[in-house]
Amino acid sequence: MGAVSVLKARPARPPSLPGNTRPAKQRAGRTPTGPGRRRQRAGMLMVAPALLHAALWIGLPVVASVFLAFTKYDVLTPPQFVGLDNFKEMLDDAVFRKSIVNTVKSIVNTVIYTFFTVPFGMMLGLLLALALHTGLKARGIFRTAIFLPQVTATVAIALVWLWIYNPNNGLLNALLSFVGIDGPAWLSSTTWALPSVILVGVWQGIGMKMLIYLAALQSLPRELYEAASVDGASKARQFFSITLPLLKPATFFVLITSMITAFQAFDQIYILTEGGPANSTTMMTYEIYKSAFREFRVGYASAQSLVLFVLLMGFTLVNRRIMGGTRGHN
Amino acid sequence: MELKRRSLLAAIGAGTAAAALSGCGTGSTAAGSADGPAEGEITLLTPIYENANGKTLLEKEILGGFRKKYPDVKVNVDYTTYAHLNEKITTGMAGGLLPDVLMMGVGWIPPFAAKKAIAPLPEKFATAHDYEKRVLEPSRYDGKLYALPVVLDTRIVVYRKDHFAEAGIKKTPANWAELRAVAKQLTKDGRIGFDPFSIDLRQCWETFLFANGGQLFSADGKKVLFTDSRGVEALEFFKDLIKDGSANYAKKTDPGAPTNVQTGRASMMMTTSALWEQVREQNPELLKDDTLGAFVLANRKPAMLQGGTLVTQSASSKHPAAARALVEYLATPESILGAAKQRGSVPGLKDLSDSSYVKENKFVDLSLQNMGAACSEGGTAAWMEIREKIKPTLEPAIVGGQSAKDAIAELGRLAEAAIGRM
Repeated sequence: MGAVSVLKARPARPPSLPGNTRPAKQRAGRTPTGPGRRRQRAGMLMVAPALLHAALWIGLPVVASVFLAFTKYDVLTPPQFVGLDNFKEMLDDAVFRKSIVNTVKSIVNTVIYTFFTVPFGMMLGLLLALALHTGLKARGIFRTAIFLPQVTATVAIALVWLWIYNPNNGLLNALLSFVGIDGPAWLSSTTWALPSVILVGVWQGIGMKMLIYLAALQSLPRELYEAASVDGASKARQFFSITLPLLKPATFFVLITSMITAFQAFDQIYILTEGGPANSTTMMTYEIYKSAFREFRVGYASAQSLVLFVLLMGFTLVNRRIMGGTRGHN
Repeated sequence: MELKRRSLLAAIGAGTAAAALSGCGTGSTAAGSADGPAEGEITLLTPIYENANGKTLLEKEILGGFRKKYPDVKVNVDYTTYAHLNEKITTGMAGGLLPDVLMMGVGWIPPFAAKKAIAPLPEKFATAHDYEKRVLEPSRYDGKLYALPVVLDTRIVVYRKDHFAEAGIKKTPANWAELRAVAKQLTKDGRIGFDPFSIDLRQCWETFLFANGGQLFSADGKKVLFTDSRGVEALEFFKDLIKDGSANYAKKTDPGAPTNVQTGRASMMMTTSALWEQVREQNPELLKDDTLGAFVLANRKPAMLQGGTLVTQSASSKHPAAARALVEYLATPESILGAAKQRGSVPGLKDLSDSSYVKENKFVDLSLQNMGAACSEGGTAAWMEIREKIKPTLEPAIVGGQSAKDAIAELGRLAEAAIGRM
């Protein structure tokens, strides 16, 4: 029982800076004068190029996409305002049953892909980070090896996996044949194609998750562990009562960034399966790409992008509510 | 309701702020006169002339000759593949940077001509050379000539003569019933009798549809015709082959890799005329020993899907005379023969049908002899959208449990909706 006082390491709000006794709102509303105003102006001036860049290259396309979502636009002819027709098409199963099947299929596939690549990937990332946080020999080499897929072009990675999954002379089936298993056609099978793509996603994303967790682990205060050891807490108890709660901000960050990356999975689908067979690996981003660049339906693709944006925003807000955002130990 | 300031919207639609600020968008560029002198700097977008050999052929030989004839025209080449051609054109149009001369596939002309993205060519180009009778059909839209064929690619059935001889089969199948029986007879010991799936499913089904006497669209491109029993039977035939065990969707080979007839894993396969060149490079012994034969698929009638690459001119070119001159030059017999040799394709000119290249390449020779049975995909202004729907809509019938009838009906609904949006 002696360990309880130490092990209940709850995330705390950051303490106020000394001498800063006025409420935050009041401080924020205060208009700077003299040197403060000059500093503010200089700051604005320095931020301006980045702001302009963001407005031009991020803001303008976002606004244009939202606008185009309500138009019929095929690039060849000027956009025509069609109100909510693009959104109705995504939902109207009487006429566009296949569209909705595709849309639903792509959303379902995206959710399945996200479910496996994110929590599973996070778990593996954390385990690897914990292993590398210990005094493992040659951990620099391991860190580099695990992080390498993250910095390698997805196209190159996907091409290697294409060979690994090749049913006739691929590595995976060759290995399986040693134990007497006749491996399937991984990417041509409706059963195996999505798990195969998921495996590539997990493998590729694990490096970044590991790196973030490793950085977070290295910044955890050692005193808490020392105190817990003195109180007789086991390593497992220390992990569940100290490490995991204190990693909450990192977990939130990894979860959100991984989820967004998973929802935007495109390259591996494009190279490995093109959404097939029979739409079994199609994802929302791939459907958007097909609509815009292969079918010349930029208006419809913009509407699909808007739906993806709303979905992502919703997931992020729900996650934030559940996990309490980035608040953690200080 | 048509929106104002369309160029700006077109440009920002692609997220190209630079294009937005300069106001260059779809169709905003004023084209000059096509009858003036051929001069200026133009761009050619091509999905063929692949790899180093193709690049040398185009830039040294073909464009070398063009430069001699038109010294005031500078040609910049933008290489791509058919897989990325749509993207190149979409982004080019949105950014107001559509190349002056474009090479595109059969079936692509009506969609681009209907939207006035490409310019009509003088009718005299159609009679400048002795084209095979039907090869100019996919180059026309609304009675006008918009493109010239550079190379043709046909879909034929290639078979192993040694497998046929071993099984005592003396003649090639003349209809689907015979094809199914022969495929079943040849299937044994992990070998499949027939591999129809190593070419694109869309083009494979179309070949079977045409051989069954079916059509894709009405002559005006506004009515879907493939939803009748002939289209369903074509898809059902694949399911029958799979049921027999004589075809396997999972055993298809990747483009460029040795095909199933080369490796002996299949006795027959649907393939393109370009397979001859691939075999010559990868398994020359098969040609030396005369192991491979070819025939045209037939059921109610013989049918050979004929695709290919056409060359056309952008309607917004700033140097239309130079662009037109390049289009004409790329379709001369010399240019065509070079491109056909490099890709193992079929030259669409009668003048070349007796060339040593054609006589040596038996698949090309067979294709030219059967040009009367050739049929092409496309034929509607909505083709760019419909062509993308065919494979993912038909695939569930082949690898999933969907019936052929439902899959074809589904595809019909999608095609009708796409045509309705035109």
